[in-house]
Amino acid sequence: MRRYTKLYWEFAKSHMKVMMEYRIDFLIGVASVMLEQFASIFFVKVVFDHIEQINGWSFYEILFIYGIAATGRSIHQIFFDNLWTLGWQYIRPGKLDRLLIRPVNPLFHVVADRLHQDGFGQLIIGLIILGTAIPQLDLVWGAAEIAMLVIMIISSGLIFVAINLFFATFSFWMIDSLPIVWAVFNLSDFARYPLTIYHKGIRMFLTWIIPYGFTAFYPAAYFIDKSGYKEFALWTPVAAIVCCVLAYAFWNRGLKAFASTGS
Amino acid sequence: MITVENLKKEYKLVKRDPGLKGAIKSLFNRKYETKHAVKGINFTIEQGETVGYIGANGAGKSTTIKMLTGILTPTSGKVTVNGLVPYENRQKNAVNIGAVFGQRTQLFWDIPVRESYNLLKHIYEIPEQEYQETVAMFTEVLNLEPLLGIPVRQLSLGQKMRCELAAAFLHRPKVVYLDEPTIGLDIAVKVKIRKFIKEMNQRWGTTVLLTTHDMQDIEEICDRIIIIDGGTILYDGGLEQIKKQFGQQRVIHFELADKEKFVLPAALIGQAAVLPNEEETKVSLSFDHESVKSSFVISEMMSMYEIGDLNIADPKIETIVEELYNKQEKGGEHEKVLANS
Repeated sequence: MRRYTKLYWEFAKSHMKVMMEYRIDFLIGVASVMLEQFASIFFVKVVFDHIEQINGWSFYEILFIYGIAATGRSIHQIFFDNLWTLGWQYIRPGKLDRLLIRPVNPLFHVVADRLHQDGFGQLIIGLIILGTAIPQLDLVWGAAEIAMLVIMIISSGLIFVAINLFFATFSFWMIDSLPIVWAVFNLSDFARYPLTIYHKGIRMFLTWIIPYGFTAFYPAAYFIDKSGYKEFALWTPVAAIVCCVLAYAFWNRGLKAFASTGS
Repeated sequence: MITVENLKKEYKLVKRDPGLKGAIKSLFNRKYETKHAVKGINFTIEQGETVGYIGANGAGKSTTIKMLTGILTPTSGKVTVNGLVPYENRQKNAVNIGAVFGQRTQLFWDIPVRESYNLLKHIYEIPEQEYQETVAMFTEVLNLEPLLGIPVRQLSLGQKMRCELAAAFLHRPKVVYLDEPTIGLDIAVKVKIRKFIKEMNQRWGTTVLLTTHDMQDIEEICDRIIIIDGGTILYDGGLEQIKKQFGQQRVIHFELADKEKFVLPAALIGQAAVLPNEEETKVSLSFDHESVKSSFVISEMMSMYEIGDLNIADPKIETIVEELYNKQEKGGEHEKVLANS
């Protein structure tokens, strides 16, 4: 574990050097993500200019859910973005073979191969949204609450990672599963609104099948009494761990299948 | 060091009828056919040997190397490298091996070469002092100094391959697999690379397994060759022996004033064969040095035709190998070759 932490730091240092060398790219990347996020929040704002509440949820409560999703996603985007590229960058061109003959865990290597600048834009925007929403909520913030918020955000990030990893793993059988990963990822947009506004089927789906519900709505519900999900929300970290374990087990299976067929 | 016992690898391939119709049909009704890439091969390589592993495209070379490195799991049979089974202990085995895979880079694309080496130092946990010594030596032998500060993607193919080779030897592995390390390179770089490989082998006793289509690589680096074709081993033995065994075939190229009129002189019928020659003025004759002397062939030719120039080709390993492939295709001489190995 210590070895991998050190190794990650070495990888990260060289990525940061490259980022600093291409400063303009870095800034454009960060700015474009921020712009994209602002646009979707602006849309929500416009809706709320005409109505006061959606199914009992106020603008700032929805903003809060949004903020948790954006911050959680930034963890995924900064550190684990390379999972997207598994098929077309590693398996198809045979680059995975190269990693397999190094004395490190191949998943670690794939993940450490990239530190994504755009994720920093996502992080900044996430923190701005949280900073705007939190003072407007009817909540007393103590150390315990802040600690809980951090745990929830990390859990949210890990669920994004696990789901991506799970579907990216299909690349071992089909060369490039990017379209599937992309389609699944788009479902996460649903989770940025209160799940209670959806039909029961969708709610179940986003909780038990593709658990994006735990990336935003449930963690946020912990802090909002009237949601009725305050206790259920405590399962969020558990969900995150279960998802990661499942996804990693599936990855290992994929790797094994790859070793018997080759590319 | 490296032992390979009855190693087999089979792939399942989807069988497809031609055309769009076939493609659509195969979507619903898949038929598989089994491809036997490697059909039960055996060999042992000792520490410090330099072995050329050669064969035509699709002969099973890369598949074997993938199994030796642990990337692929064999269908049956067994491999051990340094007492480890590579596909069962892939990461442990990785510490002891280095590899160059043709044009697939192992350096990090965006960052300068020096940084790439630094990352490899951490990946392989090379002690700082050893690392400094190794890099200093490689820099000198491969003339890397001007390249160290440049990102890999800006290097030319020859520059990249030099850096690549240094990366493969950086952690002083016991075995290095080189899959076509000289492909696409100019002669000057090839010479440098061959020299480097030989030097590493002598200095550290590194075992080298090399695949290549350039027979010059083999002649200069290897003391032993293994020839594989169609998934089976055709020949395994010393480079000198194969030359003696099969090197009796000589070829002489004659430049004739008038090629149109050429027919094989009567005295040479049954002794020499005319090889196809693209050039308009040249005729090539091939014969067995044991049964007919070069001087006899030349004098017969000179007595019948006006010879502008002639050129006796060396018995090159290349021609020998080509001959072996051809024999394999015909099937007839196959047993004889195997019996000799």
